Amino acid sequence: MKTALKYLAASIAFIVAIAPVYWLITISLKREVDQFAYPPQWAGFVVTLEHYKEAFGSSSFSAYFLNSVLLAGISTSAALLIGVPAAYGLARFEWPANWGDRIGDWILSTRMLPPIVTIVPLFLMLREARLLNSLVGLSIVYTAFNLPFVVWMMRGFFDEVPREIEEAAMLDGESRVGALLRIVLPLVKPGLAATAVFCLVVAWNEFLFALILTQTEAAMTLPVGIASRVTQYEIKWGAMSAAGVVAMLPVLVFASAAQKYLVRGLSLGAVKG
Amino acid sequence: MPLELTGITKKFGSREAVSGVSLRAEDGEFVVLLGPSGCGKSTLLRIIAGLEISDAGSIRLAGADVTQREARDRDIAMVFQSYALYPHMNIAQNIGYPLRVRKRPPAEIDAEVKNVAARLGLTSLLANLPRQLSGGERQRVALARAIIRRPKAFLMDEPLSNLDARLRVEMRAELKHLQHELRIVTIYVTHDQAEAMTLAHRIAVMRDGKIQQFDTPSNVYHRPANTFVAQFVGSPSMNLIEKPDGILGVRPEDVQLSQVEQPDWSPARVYVTEEMGNETIVIISDGSTNITARAPAGMKLDFDARIWYRFRPEKLHWFDPSTRSRRIE
Repeated sequence: MKTALKYLAASIAFIVAIAPVYWLITISLKREVDQFAYPPQWAGFVVTLEHYKEAFGSSSFSAYFLNSVLLAGISTSAALLIGVPAAYGLARFEWPANWGDRIGDWILSTRMLPPIVTIVPLFLMLREARLLNSLVGLSIVYTAFNLPFVVWMMRGFFDEVPREIEEAAMLDGESRVGALLRIVLPLVKPGLAATAVFCLVVAWNEFLFALILTQTEAAMTLPVGIASRVTQYEIKWGAMSAAGVVAMLPVLVFASAAQKYLVRGLSLGAVKG
Repeated sequence: MPLELTGITKKFGSREAVSGVSLRAEDGEFVVLLGPSGCGKSTLLRIIAGLEISDAGSIRLAGADVTQREARDRDIAMVFQSYALYPHMNIAQNIGYPLRVRKRPPAEIDAEVKNVAARLGLTSLLANLPRQLSGGERQRVALARAIIRRPKAFLMDEPLSNLDARLRVEMRAELKHLQHELRIVTIYVTHDQAEAMTLAHRIAVMRDGKIQQFDTPSNVYHRPANTFVAQFVGSPSMNLIEKPDGILGVRPEDVQLSQVEQPDWSPARVYVTEEMGNETIVIISDGSTNITARAPAGMKLDFDARIWYRFRPEKLHWFDPSTRSRRIE
């Protein structure tokens, strides 16, 4: 009985979670006449790939997809490249008069304001720098947005690594950088993977900044591109859904590849291993 | 290759963890830094290793001044209390790591690893990860990693304190033999006086960042420099009795007991007895002070039984009541 209840609860949760995704997939595969048939066609409809052809053949979704990939990749790499050494510095070195903690809190505080309050100053700054409608501009914004998250996550992971392991490496002949690269980083790999996945997902899904800071197709990302298919005259449900399905794939692939790290990374420190 | 410390001082904030320590360990010597926790012995070891920078003083190793050198350039190996093995490398990689960092040819590293592993009985474990090993085995791996590159000095920070009692005694003997074979100057930190007595050529007893006495185990035991050393070394610790003309120290084995009255012996009552198996520890009370004595095994004494005692006259230690240091006889 108890087991039955458990499975029932799990099934309900699964259906609730998967229903919109399933609907999105079916709409992307239905002919336009079937999309809003009543009663709704959950299965057994005529399958067509015309929306995918339209989205990625004739319209510019391929370009948006590439923009999104570049943007997520560049901003995540940049945030890790800057954030990981910063986190290591905060975790390992002695700072006079608690400055380590103060700098940490200050970095975290930038996450406390709602993103929308920064949009006007960001817009003006990027305009002055001639970086509106450019991938470079958006990359900088996303990197800045993810940086505090990287620093805070990685600082926690570095704190978990016993200092003695690093000291042993230095006595064995490593420089500090060598010990960081060859001993500490391999040990925090789960944390690194979890952090990277979060950054990627945030950059991939981001809508607000991308909407305001890009008005032309040059740097338009998938979320903005998809939304822009809601026009004054028609709503391209099929093409939007097809693009939406494709937009889900990279995150799914990446997250499932990093899944074992994700779970370990997020629970690191909870259990002594 | 001798190791020489001169006037090493280290402050943490306003507190002096190590103050003006000078010490010379000869080539191949086994020196133990002994003291209670917080006495500065671990800090001193970390300064020698190059993991902490001293505020004053100098360190010479094999004739060269290494005070300003980084840890990796000092050619010193260290064994940590937690072993500090690399969790993501197998045992062979752990042991070979110091040679790999030095970019030795892989074939040579492989041969050296096998050699050292055989010496420490680790041959069958080379492919395992550290977490698959027992405490004693991890300890051996840490030792193997330290000896593989023949450093100029060994540092050991309470390496046996995470082992259970039986294994600790076993590893202690192994360690002593290994150090004798390698003849590399070794500085060993511990708070366990039995470890210090059994391992050391010379013991440096530390307290509050200062060396109290630096001498052979025998001299530290039989001629303690002050009341602190007298009580810290030896178990049960030395009896200290306030007398009008100074502080009298008597080791428990130098307290003689008798159940019948003897001329010139003092009367007392039994406070408690502790049967140890090979001996009996008897604590007696003369009304004002408790005195600990060692007695043969099987000595049966009731609580509050009448007893007579005396101190072996040739085994008395006298300390100055104001400086608490040993009086020159």
